[in-house]
Amino acid sequence: MAAGGETRVNHTVAVAQSLVQDDVKNMLASGAIWDQTENTSVKLAIGETPEDFPHSKHYTACVLPSEVSREWLGGLIRINCDTFVECSSAIDLADLAPLISAKNAPKNALSLCLSTRSAYLLPIARKFVTALRHRGMIGENIAPTIEMAVQEAFANSLIHGNLELDTSGHLSMNSFTELGEETQRRLASTQYGARAIVLTARKRRNGHVIISILDQGKGFTPPDEKATKDIAGRKTTFGRGLPLIRSLCHSVSFSRGGRTIELEFDQNKAELLPADPAFLANLDDGSRQKNEADLRNPQNATILIADDTMLSREIIASYLRADGFTNLVFAKDGEDALEQTKLHSPDLIILDIIMPKLDGYAVCKAIRANPEYAETPIIAQTALEENEGRTRIFDDGATDLILKPLNKAELIARTKIHLENRLLVKQLQAYQERTQSELELARNMQENLNPTPELYRGTGIDYGLRISATFQMSSELGGDMWGLVPIDTQRLGVYIVDFAGHGLGAALNTFRLHSLIWSEQLRDRNPSEYLEVLNRHLKGLLPVGQYATMLYGIIDRHENIFTYASAACTSPVLGNSSTGEARYLDGSGVPLGVIRNASYENREVPFDKNSFLLLYSDALIETTLDNGKFLSEEKLLSMLSETILEGGNEIDLAAQIADQFMDRAPAQLADDFTIVSLQSASFPSAI
Amino acid sequence: MNYKAEFADGTTTVELNGRFTFGDHSSFRKLIEEIRAHKSRTHVLDISGVEFIDSAGLGMLLLARDEGEKSHATVVIRGAQGQVKRMLEVARFDTLFTLED
Repeated sequence: MAAGGETRVNHTVAVAQSLVQDDVKNMLASGAIWDQTENTSVKLAIGETPEDFPHSKHYTACVLPSEVSREWLGGLIRINCDTFVECSSAIDLADLAPLISAKNAPKNALSLCLSTRSAYLLPIARKFVTALRHRGMIGENIAPTIEMAVQEAFANSLIHGNLELDTSGHLSMNSFTELGEETQRRLASTQYGARAIVLTARKRRNGHVIISILDQGKGFTPPDEKATKDIAGRKTTFGRGLPLIRSLCHSVSFSRGGRTIELEFDQNKAELLPADPAFLANLDDGSRQKNEADLRNPQNATILIADDTMLSREIIASYLRADGFTNLVFAKDGEDALEQTKLHSPDLIILDIIMPKLDGYAVCKAIRANPEYAETPIIAQTALEENEGRTRIFDDGATDLILKPLNKAELIARTKIHLENRLLVKQLQAYQERTQSELELARNMQENLNPTPELYRGTGIDYGLRISATFQMSSELGGDMWGLVPIDTQRLGVYIVDFAGHGLGAALNTFRLHSLIWSEQLRDRNPSEYLEVLNRHLKGLLPVGQYATMLYGIIDRHENIFTYASAACTSPVLGNSSTGEARYLDGSGVPLGVIRNASYENREVPFDKNSFLLLYSDALIETTLDNGKFLSEEKLLSMLSETILEGGNEIDLAAQIADQFMDRAPAQLADDFTIVSLQSASFPSAI
Repeated sequence: MNYKAEFADGTTTVELNGRFTFGDHSSFRKLIEEIRAHKSRTHVLDISGVEFIDSAGLGMLLLARDEGEKSHATVVIRGAQGQVKRMLEVARFDTLFTLED
């Protein structure tokens, strides 16, 4: 019986559809995820794939299917959630529960809990680090170092910890083979294979990132530090893990009797394995720090008075108090001034120049050296009348100068002016932030132009197609859009559009085009006519210099043909799911909106029960990846071929390719990213 | 990790692709068996397509080297890039293998 005064915690949990609901409920009730003493109400949101959980919604936890697939692991990046847990009755979290507790508040943290069996088969370190990058918890430049360290620590916890396998010394090929067989046996057994492994990351206030990996093995006590210094050790086949980890981290520590390894990374330190310079050079410097809008009235401003004589401090304070400024802090020398600045982040500093320990010039310089205080007004007060001292203090960063003995009216006037300026700057920043939130709204509207996962999946089933799509908007508004046009029971139309540029203009144009696409005039047109009609309309609507690329095509299930027309769209890929072969189709054509009477050609290719089709925006092939290069044409084909041969028709091709792309692309994309796949598939006719 | 092996003029060239990590036990074992079957004088491991390697992957390269020694073949590692190249440097594999660009 909950007392009226208790706070109720509301949790929404993202749940994979394939799970049995009772299993999920049992797990939630077991206290594995959060403390049962809390008064909680839980709502389950069910999704077939990670795409079903809109990013605008936050989930307390995400329950992954047992034997987690790559696709669900990709949820780490796509689902707005910080705690991911595999649901399996075989997992007993024991002392690892609850995963979410007051101690590791989910804010600015990420946790992943898997069975050893699932974890062994998945690229855990890579996905975990990609997720940290995309959440802005780690910088792009340190990511390769962290990935390496996490990979080693994770492998140690999994193999030596949970699986209790011994890989020390130098192995022969025979013992390696035996080791492989023993690994398989242990993975299959409940004793070892069902043990849990938990990865967590959190960010300290000093910017350091702490990554902990917890296992349920017997505990591993690291050998003497000196003995493991040599990464190059020749006498061992697999003994480089720990020394490597030590060389990559700020610090490494063990706890829980050696079943927890904790890695600490200092993001400002030089890295052993820095990211490719060409990759970093292409990153948008989108790391602008957002200051909280702090709209205070000038009288509430915090003012620091730094002066070595108490009398002077008191005089200034009395003048300011008399005028309503009451948030005053004091410093008695230069060092103290820096200390107090750090402590109180004053809105204005009144600074004496001649002071013990550190003079006003040095204080000014030190304050300006910190970007956080780059804009803080500093009024220097001095008895010096000669020009040299005045020039110097301005050079060192003072905002204004006031002469001693102080005149009350002058002091107040200058204080007010500088505080008001400061306020205006802050208001401007706040305005920018507001605009930002309006852009966010526009962004959501634009995302809604694209079909929802439910819609495209359902439509796909009607036509014997497995359809998958991923859409990620760039930092600004973009101009990408895609959609499906059911024509009759045998024919399904599909389009993909990319407006030149991004920002508000491009976004508005996508809205325009979207309403054109759904107007009557385009019904029953073949692809070339379709583009010709659209082009004439767009030419009238778009100002000179704006254009769009587009592909419209029709899959005919009866004739086994894909007919399309392209207006300078990226070359679509047509492939065969059973052989893995894939080729580029011709995407050439005049962009939409450039010339009034552009004509387009219908192109026909066979599309049968083994075919798949991939459509994508140019961000896929024009983003600088972590190797400093774009994704090459051949590489995309080989990625497709490998992915489809590995997973067959059971996988969402576009989502898988997007996952592989996100692993290697910067967290902030410069352009919209859209990828759509349509694969022939057979569905049980009962549905 | 996946691989393609080719045999020509007494040289076995194996192209490795993808991520080469602790979970690649069985594909690596097959790779070694394939190399053994060819009985060549030179084994070239072309790792230009490997995007990421961990210490277990390095360990497996050492096993490939042992295999070569057993049959008096030279083992060459070719084309390491990015993270893989830096790992080979950190582990001083230049002292153990012939490294080619």
